[in-house]
Amino acid sequence: MKISNIFNLGKHGVRAGILAVALGSVALTGCNDFLDQEVQGNNIDKDFYDTRYKLQASLNAAYDILQSDAIQDTDWRFGEALGDHVIGTDEGLSSHMGQLVHFRFNTSNNFIRNRWEIYYKAIHRVNQVIANIDRAKVSTNDYSAYREIREILGQAKFLRAYFYFNLAKTFGGVPIRPEVETVDKLVIPRSSREDTYAYIEKDLREAAIMLPNRYTSNNSGKASSGAATALLMKVLMYQAVPGTLSDKWQEMVKLGGYFVKGNALSLKEMLHYPENYGDMEWETLRKSLWFKPRELNAETDPYESPESLCPVLLNAYSLRYVDAYGNPLTYDQQFYLDGEFCQGSIFEIVFKESGDGTAGDVNEGGYIFDTLFSLDSPIYSISDIITRIYGTDVRRNFTIGHHEYTPDMENTEIGSGRILSLKWYTPIKDRPVYGGDNGKNRRILRYADVVLMYAEALNECGNGAEALEQLNSNKRVVNEINNGTTLYIGGGYGYLRDQIWKEREIEFAFEWDRFFDIVRQGRAKSVLQSFSQTRSNQRGVYFREGINEIFPIPQMEIDVSNGVVTQNPGY
Amino acid sequence: MKKYIPLLALALVMAACSDEVAEQPRAAIELDKNIAEINESLVMRFTGSADNVVVFPGDEGQDYERLSEGNSGLVVNKGLFTYAYSTPGTYKLVCVATNHANEGLSLLSDTCSVWVRVIDDVTEITRLSAPQVLYDEVFASLHGDKDWVLALPKRMRFSNSDRNVALNQRLKFYIPSQSTQVFIDGEPYQSNTRYNLANMLEVKTVSNEGSERVYKLHTLNYGEFSTFSLAGVRGTLQRTEFDYSYSELDITLPAGTDVTALAPEFTLSGDNVRVYVDGIEQQTGVSTQDFTTPVTYRFVTTSTADPSISVESTCKVTVN
Repeated sequence: MKISNIFNLGKHGVRAGILAVALGSVALTGCNDFLDQEVQGNNIDKDFYDTRYKLQASLNAAYDILQSDAIQDTDWRFGEALGDHVIGTDEGLSSHMGQLVHFRFNTSNNFIRNRWEIYYKAIHRVNQVIANIDRAKVSTNDYSAYREIREILGQAKFLRAYFYFNLAKTFGGVPIRPEVETVDKLVIPRSSREDTYAYIEKDLREAAIMLPNRYTSNNSGKASSGAATALLMKVLMYQAVPGTLSDKWQEMVKLGGYFVKGNALSLKEMLHYPENYGDMEWETLRKSLWFKPRELNAETDPYESPESLCPVLLNAYSLRYVDAYGNPLTYDQQFYLDGEFCQGSIFEIVFKESGDGTAGDVNEGGYIFDTLFSLDSPIYSISDIITRIYGTDVRRNFTIGHHEYTPDMENTEIGSGRILSLKWYTPIKDRPVYGGDNGKNRRILRYADVVLMYAEALNECGNGAEALEQLNSNKRVVNEINNGTTLYIGGGYGYLRDQIWKEREIEFAFEWDRFFDIVRQGRAKSVLQSFSQTRSNQRGVYFREGINEIFPIPQMEIDVSNGVVTQNPGY
Repeated sequence: MKKYIPLLALALVMAACSDEVAEQPRAAIELDKNIAEINESLVMRFTGSADNVVVFPGDEGQDYERLSEGNSGLVVNKGLFTYAYSTPGTYKLVCVATNHANEGLSLLSDTCSVWVRVIDDVTEITRLSAPQVLYDEVFASLHGDKDWVLALPKRMRFSNSDRNVALNQRLKFYIPSQSTQVFIDGEPYQSNTRYNLANMLEVKTVSNEGSERVYKLHTLNYGEFSTFSLAGVRGTLQRTEFDYSYSELDITLPAGTDVTALAPEFTLSGDNVRVYVDGIEQQTGVSTQDFTTPVTYRFVTTSTADPSISVESTCKVTVN
């Protein structure tokens, strides 16, 4: 039949057509019952979160965002490329990246928007876990059944805090999304910087009491109480002002004493209970955090009171370069496959591990390696910068330049005069055969960071002698690399502070934290100013103090909110 | 002939393309204010019509008049542009609106400009330090609104030796604006000059707008024992690297000496220093103490120019 004939119905055809429509509508009415049927064998939103396994799947989706290329991409651009340790191949003012690193961007910069979007996407995913946690049903009355749900909630809280922290240090106060999003309330105004940080702190304090001190073996890589406490110290440090004594510095000293020296810390001290909880009963709080309800407790079950102690973190982590089993590592191996989950590592982004590199088993960490270990790497360092960072420090020996050999004797091809700005090098033997499968875990929080944060807080609180001891505890381990004897020496506040900052610069070089570190130290202007004088394009000279420490809220957010979301000053 | 007609038609169409010309753009802007403080946001809306809009704010490196010297502008997105000036002055903000067609062969532009005055009225010093006291940066503290007090030790322990601290020191001022000028006793401040801090200094700040503020800088040495002896035995002073206001003094007395009520003989580091134990002023050779446990002496050094300004330090005396 020709197609035109279908529409050429004729007189009889019209009748037949009406009949067909009538029959069709009867049939469609009949379909209603079918549409009302529950879907069999598939999860729907109402029952998806009712078991631990489904909640775990939902939590995995939040960890999945952490592995995404978009997170790695935005983190090196902001944490490293903006600082004074690397040079970019894209520093021209005609591109968005060039404008970003010159601090001559406008509010519609793509990379600023990307950062905002990916971290809010991550927050949305993790909020699904937190909002639905109370749908979980436990099938037994075992203590462990509650603990398993509690640990999922605790990890979700840690991740949410980590995501908001990355937003807060980039944008200042940000909108706090409701845990359950509704269509009629999509526009949320910004919270103040203080409120945003308070929200982050609350999540971390709760996570710190809900999680075990460290995950090992099959569970390695999950966020632990150690991770929550370390991040809490960092969050406090970003709120504290160097040279100004505050309760933030003082609480860091307390937390450092708990983490590094093993001082006891009670749950209520960690939580700031009851101050932070209004009239909430302890038992109500316990239940909301999935501690087993007291009335269900068997005699043998532990009961957590406000006076109970937080998990013991002393000796759970170490400054020494040893893997999870205590086998020695070299300094650089900490960052390679051998050093994954080593005792110096507190939290890592776990990229999927591939046993044989077979298809479909793709390691999502490939982005970092493929992007930064290549001839056209967008950022690289040079020997002048390396000398400025390390001086004569032995850790300099672990940087790899063009036509130099990697630890496993691979000839490095990254361009003449360039030095790799990458700590996640993967030795050839660890690289599976297939492409796209050669990235290794990215270290986010290390124990050395905890110790140096503790040292800095001690110095800020007037305890220089103990600060020096903590500072040198890291340097002593470094000295073991080459039987060195150089230690930092005692001095007044300013002298010690500068030494601690120097040690931070060396120890965490190329871990994508440099820019944020100099900003929170309050010296981004002077550091970038002196850096700009070494560069022919004067990159950094346009950094405006009091403005560029935080970035503009993406213009699109301001536009779609009709001005409810306000812009940062100076933009 | 017929078969050439399509080709001819195509050629005509192409010829028409190459004649495409850009529409004349129109540059017009609205600023939310023409006078702003430094670092204050200015919001500009583009109200003309053009495909591409660039703004030259007129400050360093972004001056339209100096386009040939490599100055550049900032791209305006969606007709909205926000900016803040970091240095005071009067700037010519130029907006360049451009339309182009025919792959850029036809380019038309229009400009408009407004004057923006940026004022700077900052006179506040947020922090003040002596940046190079031997090896350390020592910060002064602010008492009330106007009095900065810099406390320095007579000597400083560093690398296992005690070193003299001079009262001639460089000074460093932390001021939110780079345009604010500082005068010390009427002379323009220089970052590499060593100032004699033995006397009180007058620190005047003058903002770019001309408003002034006067601070005083008082420098006091922490009080300490110049000499200290018990029952004829001299003690040695030990300093710490970390806290300049704290020192320790150890004395070893012959075995069997009764230490429950001894009156030490001491001299103090200055005429303006007084020493107390538990709030009671101590006199050399007169005031007795029980040295069975360490005794903490508290020094108060008062400014001779202004008795309301003082600094405190302590010394722990231990008898073995």
